[in-house]
Amino acid sequence: MTIVTAYLLAGLALFLIGLHGLLTLQSMLRRIMAVNLMGSGVFLVLTALAARLPETDPVLHALVVTGLVVSISATALALRLHGALERHREDG
Amino acid sequence: MNPALSSMALPLLAGLLLLLAGPGLMRRWGGTLTLIVSVASGLAAWMALQSTLDSSRQEALLGGWEEGLAIRLELTALSALLLLFTALIHGLVALYAQFSRHGVSHAYWPLSCLLHGTLAALWLSGDLFNLYVTLELLGLVSVALLTQSGPRAWRPALNYLVLSLAASLCYLLGVAILYGQYGLLDIELLSGVTENDAVTRLALVLMTGGLMLKAAMWPLHGWLPAAHASAPTAVSALLSALVVKGPLFILWRLWSEVAPADLAIQAGPLFAAAGIAALIGGGYASLRSPYIKTLVAYSTVAQMGYAMMALGLLLFWQHPQMHVALWLFVIAHGLAKASLFMAAGEIQHTVGTTRISGLRGATQTAPIAMFAFAVAGGSLIGLPPSGGFLSKWVLLGPLLNDPWNWPWAAGVFLGTLVSAAYVFRAVIMAFDRVHIKRVNLNPDHTAQWLAMLPALLVWAMALSGNWLVQWLAGGGI
Amino acid sequence: MEIAEAVLDTALIGLLLTMAWATLHTQRMSAAIALFAGFGMVLALIWARLRAPDLALAEAAIGAGLTSALLLRAASITREETIRIPTSRLWLRWLFVTAVFAWLAVHVLALSTLDGGHSLPELVTGQTPNSGVRHPVTAVLLNFRAWDTLLELLVLLLALLGFRQIARHNRHPYDADHHPAPWPLLKAWSRSLAPLLVVTGGYLLWRGSDDPGGAFQAGAVLAAALVLLRLSGQLPVFRWSRWTVRLAALTGPALFLSVAIGSAVMGEGWLNYPDNASTLLIVLIESAATVSIAVTLAFLVAGEEEDIAE
Repeated sequence: MTIVTAYLLAGLALFLIGLHGLLTLQSMLRRIMAVNLMGSGVFLVLTALAARLPETDPVLHALVVTGLVVSISATALALRLHGALERHREDG
Repeated sequence: MNPALSSMALPLLAGLLLLLAGPGLMRRWGGTLTLIVSVASGLAAWMALQSTLDSSRQEALLGGWEEGLAIRLELTALSALLLLFTALIHGLVALYAQFSRHGVSHAYWPLSCLLHGTLAALWLSGDLFNLYVTLELLGLVSVALLTQSGPRAWRPALNYLVLSLAASLCYLLGVAILYGQYGLLDIELLSGVTENDAVTRLALVLMTGGLMLKAAMWPLHGWLPAAHASAPTAVSALLSALVVKGPLFILWRLWSEVAPADLAIQAGPLFAAAGIAALIGGGYASLRSPYIKTLVAYSTVAQMGYAMMALGLLLFWQHPQMHVALWLFVIAHGLAKASLFMAAGEIQHTVGTTRISGLRGATQTAPIAMFAFAVAGGSLIGLPPSGGFLSKWVLLGPLLNDPWNWPWAAGVFLGTLVSAAYVFRAVIMAFDRVHIKRVNLNPDHTAQWLAMLPALLVWAMALSGNWLVQWLAGGGI
Repeated sequence: MEIAEAVLDTALIGLLLTMAWATLHTQRMSAAIALFAGFGMVLALIWARLRAPDLALAEAAIGAGLTSALLLRAASITREETIRIPTSRLWLRWLFVTAVFAWLAVHVLALSTLDGGHSLPELVTGQTPNSGVRHPVTAVLLNFRAWDTLLELLVLLLALLGFRQIARHNRHPYDADHHPAPWPLLKAWSRSLAPLLVVTGGYLLWRGSDDPGGAFQAGAVLAAALVLLRLSGQLPVFRWSRWTVRLAALTGPALFLSVAIGSAVMGEGWLNYPDNASTLLIVLIESAATVSIAVTLAFLVAGEEEDIAE
């Protein structure tokens, strides 16, 4: 079991913890967190794959940086929508 | 390549300019600028299409780097045609949004321009990760457009956003696995090296699942009706006519280029079967829908079934005619659906209700919009000589030649029956002048005529059928 | 693998997965968010362990910091709800997830060793000296795959636009009671912290062309400074109707797109920088992108007060 194998499996497990959360949880806030965990899982897989080389793979690192920014953008929008919905519900 | 790039860059630039100009200028000039840009982008796409007639395929390696290192942009007859189609639909919807009385808020214009640019980037991209970014961009721009209709669209928008994020991540995991196996992101390079092994299959399954969810393909379509029905009319038209076609395009590229040929042949019947299920399931839901816009939205789910079926049979037989049928269908459906949504929106405003019972007597209260609805519906059913008929004719040709293929043909006929049922349900109701609904004494005739325009174009498609078939058969991959 | 390293990796992975699970399934929302922030820190450690310092920086700033801030904000509005574990077809879901994990794991394990090697990383290493920057990740982000980065700046912009849509329609904008008057200590601290953050952000940007760091990490740190100053009342409300705010948020994508169009019209092709100007162009684009990222992220975190009557 190498470090790459260990983190590849961890990434997959994280992806599935997120996916399972998305399918089972009712609370929207938790589901948003669950999607974030899925994203972290994918990024972990990518980074583990990058660590297979002695010098690490810069392409994969760049892809993860791009992915992180995409993920924060979408999360921020989702959380805003959620907040607005909650307020709207309070108003009745 | 440059005309295609301008077709993509113009709307992006216009979107940014409008945002920079601020709300005041946007309100005054947003519609005009958007119309100008969509015409200019359409002209550029036309030039790109002409250029593909001489040399069928052009490409650019961005930044001038080597293959593999650079992102590849590709222009084929098909992508040029899709560029033109995007500009056309965007222009038609912008025309409606500009001149309809209950149009859109000023914030619509930059978003629709960005949507146009994003789709153009998607049609041209030849890189799996770049396609992921365009997919995310498409998702976010759709959500931003959806929220335009205020609080009632927030819940569907949030649902759509979360699901579409999860779907993109499934796609990205697939990309990661493919990269892990082959060390490539470039579709053309990948198409030469992929093998039919377990890892490749896994990656393809993950990516397909994500893309099918994004394209609202049965059985992953649950989010679509609520989202598309709650948006403002112009936005519903854009979402149904254009946005769901993006993931479909990626799915087609994935299976016809990246997937090894023997795997694609195995997967074909599955797609086709899911397509038939979509036709029947979506059609039935549409038939039972109590709201006008939900009826139209479910019909998108059903109609994507034809696309899936054509894709499946294309993979299964590798028959070029199926390729023609698939893209003819996409164009015909886009035009018809834009018209249907705009007509539905106009009818809703005229009769003052969103329920389908509001259609009673619509032939009298909103005759032009109702006529547009019926004409566009005719293309969905596939009545000759519409674009819908043309695509179905091309699809059925190879199906009827061989008795072994008749079960698939039966699926197409069943789908046609169901679409006829839900279109005629609405039309028959509109003729019921006994239980007529309260009339808006000041209907918006201009908007109703504008809703008719795409429907007329889809019928005109049959006239240019020869060119379309030739472009798609000759120039495309 | 040495024993010490094995212990470290096992501990990190165990911690990561436990925290992830607990984030989703703990009873109280506040605990869940604290766990989520901790999860981000563990993940940052893991990136460092996997020799990905760029990601460690980005994760610490963006993933753990900003996402947690946004979550806290959202949770303060959300009514506390106890988790209802759905009982219907629970076993089916479990079966599904376990089967999928087994299936994924069996196949993906085949990827853990690389036989033969891939040509792409070598290409990157070979071409980095010609790209205008020395750090390979920056070279990929801003030269080899600059088109991705341009589109990604548009993604960020669209999140902001979507957010504006919602604020415009909100009948009750986030009102004063959500921004209590700044605490004296916060004011004092922010005065000394904000310059430090600006310096750190500037440093990350400056070093980005040679070493780990770059526009995204710098933008996130600068965003933190802006949020801090805003919350302590030392910056005016971020309003989209101010042209300065719009300009700052749009400068990155607009400059990037102009460079792309310019290089297509006058130069050799879309995003093909002229050889002698690539360093300059990359630095310009990175600086503009940093400003846009900082303003956009700050807007997303603390820009809720909208003037409805714009």
